[in-house]
Amino acid sequence: MSKTLMRFTGVGGQGVLLAGEIFAAAKIATGGEGLKTATYTSQVRGGPTVVDIQLDDQEIYYPYANDGEIGFMLSVANVSYNSFKDGVQPGGTIVVDPNLVHPTDEDRKMWKIFEIPIITIAKEEVGNVITQSVVALAIANTMMNAIDKKTLVDTMLSKVPAKVHAANLKAYDLGEKYALEAMAKIA
Amino acid sequence: MADTREVISSGNHLAALASADAGCRFMGGYPITPSSEVIEQMSDLLPKRGGSCIQMEDEIAAVAAAIGAGMAGHRTLTATSGPGISLKAENLGLAQMCEVPLVVVNVMRGGPSTGLPTRVSQGDVRQAKNPSHGDYRSITLCAGNLSECYTEVVRAFNLADRFMQPVFVLLDETIGHMHGKAIIPTAEAVKAGIVPRKQFDGAPEDYHPYECEHDQPAVLNKMFTGYRYHFTGLHHDKNGFPTEEIETCRKLIQRLEDKVMLHTDELELNEEFMLDDMTGEEGEVLIIAYGSVSLAAKESIRHLRAAGIKAGLFRPLTLWPSPEKAIKKYTDMIKNVLCVELNIRQYTEEVERVSSRLDIQGLFKVNGRPISPHEIVSKVKEVF
Repeated sequence: MSKTLMRFTGVGGQGVLLAGEIFAAAKIATGGEGLKTATYTSQVRGGPTVVDIQLDDQEIYYPYANDGEIGFMLSVANVSYNSFKDGVQPGGTIVVDPNLVHPTDEDRKMWKIFEIPIITIAKEEVGNVITQSVVALAIANTMMNAIDKKTLVDTMLSKVPAKVHAANLKAYDLGEKYALEAMAKIA
Repeated sequence: MADTREVISSGNHLAALASADAGCRFMGGYPITPSSEVIEQMSDLLPKRGGSCIQMEDEIAAVAAAIGAGMAGHRTLTATSGPGISLKAENLGLAQMCEVPLVVVNVMRGGPSTGLPTRVSQGDVRQAKNPSHGDYRSITLCAGNLSECYTEVVRAFNLADRFMQPVFVLLDETIGHMHGKAIIPTAEAVKAGIVPRKQFDGAPEDYHPYECEHDQPAVLNKMFTGYRYHFTGLHHDKNGFPTEEIETCRKLIQRLEDKVMLHTDELELNEEFMLDDMTGEEGEVLIIAYGSVSLAAKESIRHLRAAGIKAGLFRPLTLWPSPEKAIKKYTDMIKNVLCVELNIRQYTEEVERVSSRLDIQGLFKVNGRPISPHEIVSKVKEVF
């Protein structure tokens, strides 16, 4: 694998930053380079937030993903989706939570859009809304095949408190399951 | 044993770790975006190492507390962003006049005033040169990648004790918040490199802290060790007491100038990226950038070189005093020069001054967004 560019977007407070840190750390653990850069507004809670994740085998200089080169975006807020979708390359993959994000018909022609109710999965199936970032992590990795699963899961567990390991493992498995189902449906 | 280690961290957290490893045992701070993670991390690190971290009631009190710890003899830190520097300016002048060592980390955001709190900028470069009134020489370092958020802060602590004055370390929102791998010196290697400030060990009656060579800083003994002297922002005599004696006043301010400007060789640090094959032939492009912008510049140079344009980067890590000889050397050699900054001409004007050239091209941005590699590539193709 050479370079993977991913973008996670939401609103402040949803925890989109954590998934980026886990990706970067897992890539570094495999001997590669990983970098997470977040952009947010001064309205920290509720303002549009974007996290760019770059995974590469060579040294990364510029820390932001160049618009038009992003292969994968995940969005759990409509305001952020609209602000940042144009960074995704034509034909790229976008995952949205259909309860919160509403792509247009033109968007569906431009990109491969998958609808997965990320927040509902975290809230109702896992039982803890905070695990949505791990559901998102699992979806991104399953679709992009970016990092060896064991490395990613181990890294994730090292970054969350021990008492929520089980919940986060469940969140990862559910994210993976929903991603595989969504991909199978389109294929 | 290896003298480096690999860490995964952010620029702000690395600046805090560097401070703790470099022997800083006091921080007086006041949280402000995008620097808040520095004090957050120090509030965890310092108590574990026998130090203290205090969140004061405002920016002014924060730097005052840090200066007090510096006066007492400790390595001391404050961290803020541009609006905080504006508030701290008066006390920073006091520290210059009293010759109190202090490290000031400024994680730059959009200005003026409260500006763009969460957005990147390099708008404080000119401010760092003269935050307060009067004649003195700022020492300002600037980190251009994650590792340097650590190494430049360590360097700042050693320079503060060597030159006995505040030393700025400029980070910016991008560098402060980006999170990834950094190769940094081990804590042991940093500790081994610490040169503590000079102390006078003669008889207390022979101690005159401000009676020093014309190009050397004051020798301020740690407090409560039996040596008595006085601090004042007024012009002062050899023991620190106010005076208006003509020659004493002249010598004091000339010494503040000369202690820095006659020793710039101890301060200068530059990166020369892809410049070793430059010969001065037609078509070569010199990019001058610093801080996070240099990351975009490096990536743009990859693209430019792939397109057959011989481009290289000159990057000062010590912004003030500026590396005059090195800038002159490269601007004399290479015709096409482009300065790239997240402000309007703040360092370009210095490059113009040093190079005596008025045909330096510039790419500037002040809307809180980073400059991308593609913008630099387009600018080079447009103007040269």
